[in-house]
Amino acid sequence: MLADALWSEAYRLVRNRTALFLGVFFVPLMFAVGGVAFHVLSKSKGDALAAQAALPAGMGGQAVDLALAFDMGAGGGANGAALAFMLIAAAVVYAGDYRWETWRLISARNTRPMLLMGKVGVMKLAALAAMVAYLLASFVFILSQGLVTGRPLTFDAGSVEPGRFLLVFLLSYVRIVQYGLVALLAAVLTRSLLAALFVPLVVGFVQTVMGGPLMGLVGWTPTMWAPQLLLPGLAYDTLKAAATGEVAPAGVVPKAILGLALWCLVPFGAALAWFSRQDLSKE
Amino acid sequence: MDTVIEVRGLTKTYGTVKALDGLDLSIPRGGVYGVLGPNGAGKSTLFRTLLGLVRPTEGDATVMGGRMGDPKAMRRMGSMIETPRFPPFLTARQVLEWLGRAHGGVARTDIDAWLDRVGLNEAADRRVRGFSVGMMQRLGVAAALMTRPDLVILDEPTSGMDPPGIQEMRALIRDLADRDGVTVVLASHQLQEVQRVCDRVAILNRGRVVAEGLVSELTASGGRLRLTATPLAKAMAVLGDRGALDGDAVLAAIERAEAPALIRELVKAGVDIEEARWIGMDLEAVFMSETGWAGAPGGDHAG
Repeated sequence: MLADALWSEAYRLVRNRTALFLGVFFVPLMFAVGGVAFHVLSKSKGDALAAQAALPAGMGGQAVDLALAFDMGAGGGANGAALAFMLIAAAVVYAGDYRWETWRLISARNTRPMLLMGKVGVMKLAALAAMVAYLLASFVFILSQGLVTGRPLTFDAGSVEPGRFLLVFLLSYVRIVQYGLVALLAAVLTRSLLAALFVPLVVGFVQTVMGGPLMGLVGWTPTMWAPQLLLPGLAYDTLKAAATGEVAPAGVVPKAILGLALWCLVPFGAALAWFSRQDLSKE
Repeated sequence: MDTVIEVRGLTKTYGTVKALDGLDLSIPRGGVYGVLGPNGAGKSTLFRTLLGLVRPTEGDATVMGGRMGDPKAMRRMGSMIETPRFPPFLTARQVLEWLGRAHGGVARTDIDAWLDRVGLNEAADRRVRGFSVGMMQRLGVAAALMTRPDLVILDEPTSGMDPPGIQEMRALIRDLADRDGVTVVLASHQLQEVQRVCDRVAILNRGRVVAEGLVSELTASGGRLRLTATPLAKAMAVLGDRGALDGDAVLAAIERAEAPALIRELVKAGVDIEEARWIGMDLEAVFMSETGWAGAPGGDHAG
């Protein structure tokens, strides 16, 4: 039953090429294209411009280390632009059956939890695809630097810490899935594709952009429970910093783990509970 | 009686509106069963409830031996509720492939066969965003039937179709019941259509069943004997309360079996009968009568 839901959702998303491209591949592609353009421009303007640019550490040396792409790409999929564009795919997957009134075609032959889990499963696959695409785009970025500037390309396996890479990759993956789950809840509550797109955008904007000033306003610090529980972006940043070796204040990591977990479980649980008792009709 | 659908005391309320009001219904296995009713009578709500799309306020129902909405039972059934809509970026073939996956897998050859059977083989690879309502209906019917269900619910399957399309759909529905042994439950506003294709019907009004039975039974009672006779006054005297003038003829409100005796009585009384014709009640008249639409004061024209 879950396999049926997953299989059919994946089939439909793959054939919705606009949503798939914009939601999954657009930002990594722009990153890769932008990286190539940046290096070409840098080359044409001379090394001085490249030196002024804020390139990642290690890129200014004689050899260009391709292994740096792992560090660059591990967390890249969870950047603001990638998250925002991922919402296009999330909104289509989570709210498409309301938009096209297609619940009546698929819901009778499967259980509602399975239908919802099928959608979440497909978005998890889409998030994974976006992260892999971002990783590849990072390789293109680094590779283009070597090719355009004519520096030798190397691959220093020692500069990659597999544990750190996997942890950051996993954290970023969870962050993307978590952000999509807000779209799921918005879709189920409002039955609207537009709401599934814009509600998480607004929530994300308030939490990320306004989060800092709001914390200052109410006197919160990142080590407190409230901001770690209310601001999943802060929780993600905290955990990512800890994963990359930054020293975190005592006790803040468990708070951040709980915060991120709650922002996954609560939207999914609420959406499931509401969807399970929802009338799938226009009335 | 072996039934495919048993409904007991089904009530569904939307705010203050009762879409279903303690509805009871048994639909037997086999044949084509029509569900009729004016707009708002509760047909679509009944179907949506049986499919588990909406939760009843009260009451219960079994479908194919399982509780309504039970996916195991639903897997033996196909449905098309109201005018179907599909993701506009999919082609007709992709719609069936997508739904085939959602329903546990349907062979590609079956998909091709159903596209052909509903007359969409030439449009199979066109995106549905350009489809007419009639084409959507055809695709919806194919989607409902491609899993080879034992029971199929079709809500207004000929809506938006041209006359040849309606004839094809009528033949398909009859064929499903007669050749494939599928029980077809059909809702339609086209009463002549229903009379031609259905074996039994239930007439709904205001969320309740107001009449139910074989089409032949429902239309047998309530007919009239139309007599072209002279002199009319003498004929009217014999008929008494049973008679009514209809131009140069009289209408006798009697049971069909009483006709020969009445004719003998009229002849014996000295009435010359030029023509005697039984005017049966059609389903439309039954529908109008049962739903209060026959121009009767207080008839519910809003449905």
